Amino acid sequence: MLNLSAVHKSRGVGSQRYSLVIPALALRAGEQLAIVGPSGCGKSTLLDLLALVLAPDQVGRFEFDQVDVGALWRADQQSTLAALRSTHLGYVLQTGGLLGFLDVRSNIALSRQLLGLKDDGSVARLAEQLEISDQLGKKPTALSVGQRQRVSCARALAHAPQLVLADEPTASLDPLNAERVMQALLAQAREHRAACVIATHDEPLARASGLQVRRISCRRDTDGGVTATLGEAC
Amino acid sequence: MRIGLVASLAWQDYRNDAWLSACSVLALVAVIAPLLVLFGLKFGLVSSLTERLETDPATREIIPLGGGRFNAAFIEQLAQRGDVAFAVPRTRQIAATAQVGTLTLEMLPTAAGDPLLVGLPMPRGLDQIVLSHTAAEKLAARPGDWLETSFARQVAGRVEAQRTRLQVLAVLPLEAFARDGVFADLRLLEAAEDYRDGRAVPALSWDGDAVGATEQRVYPAFRLYARHLADVERLRVFFAGQNLLVSTQANAIAQVQSLSRNLSIVFWIIAGLALAGAFAAILAGVLAAVARKRRELSVLRLLGFSTAGLLLFVVVQALYSAGFAAVLSAGLYGLAEAGLNKLFVQVPGEYASHLLAPHYGLALAAVLGVSAVAAACGGWRVARIQASEGIRDV
Repeated sequence: MLNLSAVHKSRGVGSQRYSLVIPALALRAGEQLAIVGPSGCGKSTLLDLLALVLAPDQVGRFEFDQVDVGALWRADQQSTLAALRSTHLGYVLQTGGLLGFLDVRSNIALSRQLLGLKDDGSVARLAEQLEISDQLGKKPTALSVGQRQRVSCARALAHAPQLVLADEPTASLDPLNAERVMQALLAQAREHRAACVIATHDEPLARASGLQVRRISCRRDTDGGVTATLGEAC
Repeated sequence: MRIGLVASLAWQDYRNDAWLSACSVLALVAVIAPLLVLFGLKFGLVSSLTERLETDPATREIIPLGGGRFNAAFIEQLAQRGDVAFAVPRTRQIAATAQVGTLTLEMLPTAAGDPLLVGLPMPRGLDQIVLSHTAAEKLAARPGDWLETSFARQVAGRVEAQRTRLQVLAVLPLEAFARDGVFADLRLLEAAEDYRDGRAVPALSWDGDAVGATEQRVYPAFRLYARHLADVERLRVFFAGQNLLVSTQANAIAQVQSLSRNLSIVFWIIAGLALAGAFAAILAGVLAAVARKRRELSVLRLLGFSTAGLLLFVVVQALYSAGFAAVLSAGLYGLAEAGLNKLFVQVPGEYASHLLAPHYGLALAAVLGVSAVAAACGGWRVARIQASEGIRDV
C-alpha cells in the first residue's frame, strides 16, 4: 500500500543543513508503525512526506496505493495530491487541528463531506466508540485537550482512509489520557483496517500499544549539517 | 471541489466571526449608502426636471417663424417622421379667429394624436370644438354646450358675417393652453379662411366666390410636436437645413441635459473614488483575514482543499459581506429617500431622490463584482499556504 525507498529530503545549507533519508519503508493495510526519536530528529518531516504535503528532493521509489507519488511531485500535480490526501489519508494533529467554526459533529463529518460521502452513521458510531457522543454539538473550544484529540481521531477515520498519520497525538496529554487516546486510535484503525504511522517521543507507550517501532537516528556530517536516517524496526 | 460545501463552510466561519463580519459589512455600507443617496439625488432631480419638460407638450413644440408656404403633402411627410409626434397644417393666423359674443377666440387646428388634447374627445366635422380653460371661464361654457359663433369678413369695404353653432366637446386644462382659444377640425379653420378670403363655403352654406377645382391649398404654418425631448434639437437642425426658421425649447432642454451630464460626471468621479477605496478596504480585509485564518486554511488544505477551493472560501465570504452591505445600504437609502422627498418635494409625482429597480440591481452587481475581484486579488496569498503549516500548533 505504501512503498518508499531511497527518499531524501533536505532543508538549509552548510552547518544549517538538515537531511532526512528514508532508505526503505513499506506498509501493508492494517499495519501499525511508530516513528520514535528525539525532538528535531525529523519525525514531522517524515510524516509531512507521507502526508503528501512536502515534496521529496530525491526519490528512488515512492508509491502510495500504486500511484507514483514521486512523479506527481515532479509534475507538480497539486490537485491530484490533494485528491489522494482527501481520499486515502487521515491525519491526527498534535493538538487536534480542529476547525473552530465547526461543531464537533461537523468537524468529524468534514472528511466525508469533502469526498461527497453521505453520513452513513459512521460519525455517530465513531463518536460513540471514542466516547465523545455527548460532545457532538459543542465547538472545539469547549472541549478538553483529550477530547479534542479523540475528535481529531474520529475525523481522521470517518472517511475510512487507507493510511492514518498521527503527529505526537498524545504529547499534550497526561499519561492516563495519552494511553486512552492511543488505544482508541489504534483500535479504530485496526477495525477499519487502516495502516497507521504514529510519530511519538513516547517509545514506551508505543511499545506498550503493540506498535512496530522504527527509530530515526541523527549524525553530524563533516560540513556541520545533520543527516537523520530512518532505521529498521527495532 | 464542491461549491456548496465551500459556501457552507465559508458561511459557518463567517457566522463564527460575527463581529469581524459585521465590521466588514459596515465598512462597505459606509461606502455604498452615501453613493446610493448621491445617485438617488442626481437621478431624482434630473428625472423630475426631465419629466416636467416631457409632460409639458409645449417643450416639444416646434413653431415655424415667418410666413411659409407648405402644402398638405409636405406636412403629412413631417407627421410620418419617427421623431415627430404630431403635425397638422395651420391656416393664416389672421383668418383663424372666431367670435363668440364679445370674445374673440384664437382657432387652432387639431387631429388625432394632438398632445394638448390627450384624454379628451377629438372634435370632428364643422360643428365640434374643444374650448380652452380661460375661454370656457369667460363664456361660462361647459362640455355639451352649444356656442353661437360668428365669422366676419370685409368685402369691398362692406362687413359681412356668418354664424354657425359649435358644440363644446370638452374644456382643456389650464396648464395645456393658457390663452382664449378653440381647437377644431382643420376643415372648420379652412372654412373660416375661405370665407374670409371671399370664397363660398358650401358645407356651411356660406356664399362667396366659387373655389377652383384644381386649386391646391397652401398653408403658412403648422403645429408640430417632437416625439421626445431629444428629437427637438434634431428637428431644429432639420428645419435649419430646409432654410426654415423655427422657434423651439431646445435651449431649456439642453440646460437640463447639461445638468444631467455634469451631475453624472460628478457622480461617477465620486463613485470611482469611493469604489477604489472600497476595493482597497476589501483587499486589505481579505489579506488580514487570510493571515488570521492561516492555520484553519492550512488544515483545510491538509484535508484536501485545492487552491481554487481555498480561494473560493475567501471570495464567498467577501460576497456574503457584499450582499449584506447591499441590502443594508438599500434600506438606509430607502429611509434617506423618504426623508429627502418629504423635505424637498412640493409637486406630487416629482422626486428629490429616486431610484428604480434596475439601479438597485446595478448597485448589487457592482458591489458583488468589486468585492469578488478585490477578494480574489487579496486571496492570492492562499496559494502560498502550505498544508504542512496546519499540521503543527493548531
